[in-house]
Amino acid sequence: MLDALQQHMPFLLAGLWMTVQVTLLGICFGTLFGTLVGIARALGPRPAFWILGAYIHLWRGTPFLCQIYIVYFVLPQTGIAWLQFDSFQASVVALTIYSSSYIAEIVRAAINAVPRGQVEGARSVGMTSGQTLRYVIAPQALRMVLPPLGGVYVIMVKVTAVLSVIGTTELVRQANLVIQRDPANIMPIFLVVAGLYFVFCYPMLLLTQWAERRYGGLHLEA
Amino acid sequence: MSEPATKSPGDTSAESRDIIRVENVHKVFRGAKDHRIVALAGVSEVVARGEVLVLLGQSGSGKSTLLRSLNGLEAVDSGRIVVDGRDVTDRKTDLNALREEVGMVFQNFNLFKHKTALENITLPLEVVRRTSRQEARERAERMLARVGLADWAGSYPSQLSGGQQQRVAIARSLAMEPKVMLFDEVTSALDPETVGGVLRLMEELAGEGMTMVVVTHEIGFAKRAAHRIAFMDQGQVVERGDPQGFFAAPQSERAQQFLEQIL
Ligand SMILES: Nc1ncnc2c1ncn2[C@@H]1O[C@H](COP(=O)(O)OP(=O)(O)OP(=O)(O)O)[C@@H](O)[C@H]1O
Ligand SMILES: [Mg+2]
Repeated sequence: MLDALQQHMPFLLAGLWMTVQVTLLGICFGTLFGTLVGIARALGPRPAFWILGAYIHLWRGTPFLCQIYIVYFVLPQTGIAWLQFDSFQASVVALTIYSSSYIAEIVRAAINAVPRGQVEGARSVGMTSGQTLRYVIAPQALRMVLPPLGGVYVIMVKVTAVLSVIGTTELVRQANLVIQRDPANIMPIFLVVAGLYFVFCYPMLLLTQWAERRYGGLHLEA
Repeated sequence: MSEPATKSPGDTSAESRDIIRVENVHKVFRGAKDHRIVALAGVSEVVARGEVLVLLGQSGSGKSTLLRSLNGLEAVDSGRIVVDGRDVTDRKTDLNALREEVGMVFQNFNLFKHKTALENITLPLEVVRRTSRQEARERAERMLARVGLADWAGSYPSQLSGGQQQRVAIARSLAMEPKVMLFDEVTSALDPETVGGVLRLMEELAGEGMTMVVVTHEIGFAKRAAHRIAFMDQGQVVERGDPQGFFAAPQSERAQQFLEQIL
């Protein structure tokens, strides 16, 4: 059995590597995009609040599986050139959209949790709105954002398992291929797969806990 | 209209004598269900350089709105406000530049919670005034010493009493070397035992010739420090006068009622 596992290991690690790539890219773009949407919703004009809110709730209210199908099968039907994705690109796009819809709300809530009075304090000594965002709002919002952000990242790692439906050669898909060749070892193979996910997620969980201990509410009471 | 670059001390034109001019200013808020709330109803007022003006009036009479419109925190609907030669109501005016010269202190201190007392003072100096780190630090230390908090430079707002926080907030404004200071009920949120320190500090400032517009319910302070009282009612100044006259014999019925309530 160990021999067999050793033989399968390169396939599984290739799958893990794909999972890591897709996750990290999706998280990076999702964080960037989600942060911009969150800022616009917290501090932008009313129409931006409603329009972006509709966008966010649309994505939060539909299953990830459904979103992957839309990105991979439906968008290319439009015939628009830059909406033609291969499975890797579609995976990253879907993860970006999915994570950004959660991150935007986290960022918005954190910005709103910084008391408005501090903004007036900053503006009344001559700071511009940009300076106020950078030096007063952002540092305090960041502390509040870190713990929930870590939670979203861990969820993102785990939803990548669904990406196998569009042929992305991530960990679960590789495991399925291996099992087709070696059905007798299904249990040890999936134990290894679970272990690999855990190895990827655990540092993020630790980071989340650390951020919670370090920043959880520190000096931030209203 | 162009403004002379420098003014001689002997210049007695209205513009140089009066640092604040408020002319027929209106402001309406939209409340729930688009309900119109008239906060300022054609208010006019003038403040001379070095003058301490105390604004009194019932809750909702428009004191805060008037004060906040002086540095453009509240945009008014019509009328004109000129502060130190800058038209606050003109869209083209650089409000950030104006606010460097007009300090404002709030009821709830509005300190930056993630910064120490010292950093609360150095941040605007470095960011707005582009003061060097070293110089900002030295000035902040002087300011903290001045408000009696030299030993608290490294404390966060959450580690300070309300009175101490308010003195840091005053120091933060003073460090910008403003020409005018605006105070909006700065002792209302304080424990009684810390009120005195803040009021003493404000009286010192008044004694040094700082131009101040003060909204307060502290009648003792008004009697001691005010050069002039303006009493507001329903978005207008309905009575003005020197403190002795005003408190001894208020002219308007509204002012009489108001003083009966609070004395
Ligand atoms: N942002 C706002 N939105 C809606 N209404 C407002 C707003 N700010 C003030 N008002 C209303 O405008 C009127 C004047 O308010 P203002 O705060 O200037 O009164 P005030 O004299 O400072 O009262 P207080 O002594 O209670 O502080 C009040 O009726 C108030 O409810
Ligand atoms: Mg008020």
